[in-house]
Amino acid sequence: MTTDAKPRRPGDWTAHAVMIPLAFISVFPVWWMLVTSLRPLAEIYSPLPWPAAMTLENYSYATGVIPVWTMLANTMIFSIISTALQLLTAVLAAYGFARWRFFGDRVLFALVAMTWLVPFQVVMIPNYVVIAQMGLVDTLTALMLPNMASAFAILLLVQAMRSFPVEVIDAAHMDGASHWRILWRILVPNLRAPLAALSILLFISAWNEYFWPLLLTRSEDKTVIQIGIQMFLTEEGSQWGPLMAVSTLACLPVLVIYLVVQRQVIDSFVKAGLR
Amino acid sequence: MTALATSSIARRKAWLRRQPWAPWLYLAPALVLLVIWIYGPLAYAFWLSFHEWNMLPTAPRRYVGLLNYERLIGLPDMKAALWNTGIYLIGLLPLTVILPVAIAILTNELSGRWRDLYRALIFVPLIIAPVAAAAVWRWMLNVDFGIVNMALRGMGLSAVDFLKDDDTAIWTIIWITGWKLIGFSTLVISASLSNINPALIEAARMDGGKEWQITRRIRLPLLSPTIFLLVLLTILLGAQWSFAYIHVLTQGGPLGSTSNVYYLLWQFGFGSLAAGWASAAGMLLFVGFGVVAAGLIWLMNRASFHDN
Repeated sequence: MTTDAKPRRPGDWTAHAVMIPLAFISVFPVWWMLVTSLRPLAEIYSPLPWPAAMTLENYSYATGVIPVWTMLANTMIFSIISTALQLLTAVLAAYGFARWRFFGDRVLFALVAMTWLVPFQVVMIPNYVVIAQMGLVDTLTALMLPNMASAFAILLLVQAMRSFPVEVIDAAHMDGASHWRILWRILVPNLRAPLAALSILLFISAWNEYFWPLLLTRSEDKTVIQIGIQMFLTEEGSQWGPLMAVSTLACLPVLVIYLVVQRQVIDSFVKAGLR
Repeated sequence: MTALATSSIARRKAWLRRQPWAPWLYLAPALVLLVIWIYGPLAYAFWLSFHEWNMLPTAPRRYVGLLNYERLIGLPDMKAALWNTGIYLIGLLPLTVILPVAIAILTNELSGRWRDLYRALIFVPLIIAPVAAAAVWRWMLNVDFGIVNMALRGMGLSAVDFLKDDDTAIWTIIWITGWKLIGFSTLVISASLSNINPALIEAARMDGGKEWQITRRIRLPLLSPTIFLLVLLTILLGAQWSFAYIHVLTQGGPLGSTSNVYYLLWQFGFGSLAAGWASAAGMLLFVGFGVVAAGLIWLMNRASFHDN
């Protein structure tokens, strides 16, 4: 068995020599963001890798300039609702694709699979026009509307449902269970793991959504935290402390999720990448 | 087994005859949403591309035929943006494909605890919000007080204004884009490496194969589907991944040196309020995209090897 490698293998030193710099480069910017955000103004340019004196003054400054807490709450509401809706529409659609062969099913499936070929920049103008006609510019609803169905989630769940043993479902049919019941009582509970992984993935991408809010936002208290970072960035110059404080707050929820369910997050992203 | 499967298919068919609308009910919510927010807009963008419109609701949409397309193709900005798009792709490939393959192979045999720790750390950039990543890199690369330039000066080198110098700006954006993805790509390759049957490697070792020979003859061919996939993703989405950083950090400058076709599209659409131009550019992009994707998938099906 080659898999059970011992730490004394010479190959391990090469591995460490490669991985330590890579890990450092990956994490250092995040660390530097946190450290800068905790430094007092007088020390903001310090090259020390940790804050000599810690303070939250950057945070209180930032929250005074823009409504950071409202923005965070908006982002949270937007991310949770759009994740929930994307999961719901994907579970239903995946069941439709996984259960039945019907006229046009391949074409429809291809249509769903090909949505990733359509760049956001191509559909942004028509979508913006629609939202403007509905009078929804500058609302959270408008952020949510185009984010209620995810082709990626559908594809992932179709695959999960197709690999679910047919015998179990057929047995349920014999017992007279309806489709609706089979979906919610048998499939969904048994697909808890992929559903959980998928919802983390959807949540993170909703949380990091930036361009659609950028198009729609007019007022500070109706937008997401990513736009808050952008507001500090456009002020050319020296407010590095508050900028890093807002950035830290914007990354914190995702980082916390990551710390808690790190292995699942990695696995779900990597599996999604392999498909 | 076959009998069971056929009987189950037959049963489902009979059942489908009874409720022919059932699949559509389940598919409807998602399909309606995708049509409303993706395919409908795509068709509308196609229509708009033959019109002139400044995006004000009261302004008329004037039919101009192929004029938008003709203008676009003759535009000097477009040529520069296309050229830059190519640079983004070529610049990203080492970070999203070549280095990850090398790193994954070199660290393949790392064991349990260390492996998990490194995996957890190199994955972090991917989940960081792009705008936050842009903000922190802008701070670290600041010409006067950024930690990178302080380090450069500390080593006796001269400071570089990474994002404001038109020689370095595009490479800086490429680096930030790649920084977000390098760990992820490495993990994808590692996952696919660990699917290779260890007996194959062991057999090659017993036959006296050198490590680089094993890599060239066994690992790389077996990895080729995954490598192709990452190349495909980079070519199709690479320029799009850079978009957020261009927008936040350089706005296409200095002197247009970091603009690519996506950014140009954005500027047409919302900078100059020329919906027709932006739509025409978008359609060209979409078609070009489809052709490249089809070509690459065709290549992938022809050239890849499978581990059976």
